[in-house]
Amino acid sequence: MVESLRKKVLSPSEQARYHRQWIIPEFGKEAQKRLKSSHVIIVGLGGLGCCSALYLTAAGVGQISMVDFDVVQRSDLNRQILYSEEDIGKKKVFIAHQKLSKLNPYIRIIPIPHRITQKNIMRIIDQAQVVIDGLDNLNTRLLVNSACVSYQIPFIYGGVSRLRGMLTTIIPGKTPCLACLFTKGGQKNRRLGVLGVIPGVIANLQSLEAIKCLIGESPSLAGKLLRFNGNDMKFQINDLKRNERCKVCSLKFSLSPNKAFKA
Amino acid sequence: MRAVIIPGLVEMRIKVNPSTEVTRQGLPYIVMPWMFAPWPEAKEKGVIEIEIKGETLRELLVELSDWYKKANVDFEPINPKTREVDFDYDITVNGKNYIGLSKGLDTKLRGKKEIVIKMNWRWDG
Repeated sequence: MVESLRKKVLSPSEQARYHRQWIIPEFGKEAQKRLKSSHVIIVGLGGLGCCSALYLTAAGVGQISMVDFDVVQRSDLNRQILYSEEDIGKKKVFIAHQKLSKLNPYIRIIPIPHRITQKNIMRIIDQAQVVIDGLDNLNTRLLVNSACVSYQIPFIYGGVSRLRGMLTTIIPGKTPCLACLFTKGGQKNRRLGVLGVIPGVIANLQSLEAIKCLIGESPSLAGKLLRFNGNDMKFQINDLKRNERCKVCSLKFSLSPNKAFKA
Repeated sequence: MRAVIIPGLVEMRIKVNPSTEVTRQGLPYIVMPWMFAPWPEAKEKGVIEIEIKGETLRELLVELSDWYKKANVDFEPINPKTREVDFDYDITVNGKNYIGLSKGLDTKLRGKKEIVIKMNWRWDG
């Protein structure tokens, strides 16, 4: 089956598997083939990462790398839908690899059981076409953001807490990056709790943005922040602008003059 | 009270009854431009001046939320029903979180006060 990955054709079994997707006019067979030859990296396999991994596996993304150093804990089970009671204490990436391989044996799933650091981040993401955020802290996100800007890889930020979540698609050189908004230690990482379905809502939207990037469609949330408020079921989308003094993306990409105020 | 609002990079700064002219000195960029929404004319000037009827932090925030609501912008640092601060936002008065003030939201905004309202992003996964 891994052999079929090298070919850009879909086997009869794959055709049957993805049939409901390729009959969609704006998706089609070509998009399915593109997915098959794509490589996505999911950083963090918590509530967000589990859900993204599950749907991208089912959708037929050809290669999915998953990075997480952590083990499953009982308190993860309200939202991290790839794991069960029997998995407590085991490495998340290996459990996820096992379960996702059963879901779709026609793709390649690569578990990376490492903590992301300044030293390894460039090596980890260098082959990716899209990086999906499933992390749980700002500092690691800033590391990943910086590496994605360097390699010009789209990075799809997602974050949740309580009954709320948000996401934006970062296209290096075109949209603001995370460092346009936050520098290290800019905001405290407070554990506020999260209702299990909230990462499901946000991760599915992240996955949709990833699929659009992979098949060559424009992602809808590039340069836009989507905020979801589950308390009153409100979605809000607002524009984000680049910070021309950003230490990460303004150095790499020169910016055209915008309406900055003269200080 | 007179409130002069300066949308910053990712936060909103409000100077209460300033004695001198307020400019955008040192704050050239805005990453979240929707903070301007209710005052389109402020896009030219960069600062917004409004008159607030009350004199407490709570009254300031409630009135501010009303302004944004009229413009259909979801910027409610305070819940209009409970009149308590929404956990999406951090609010400081002269650099001190309002929670640490002896009268909290009922602190009277006299003298040279600077209030900063910052939207919290989500970092859990």
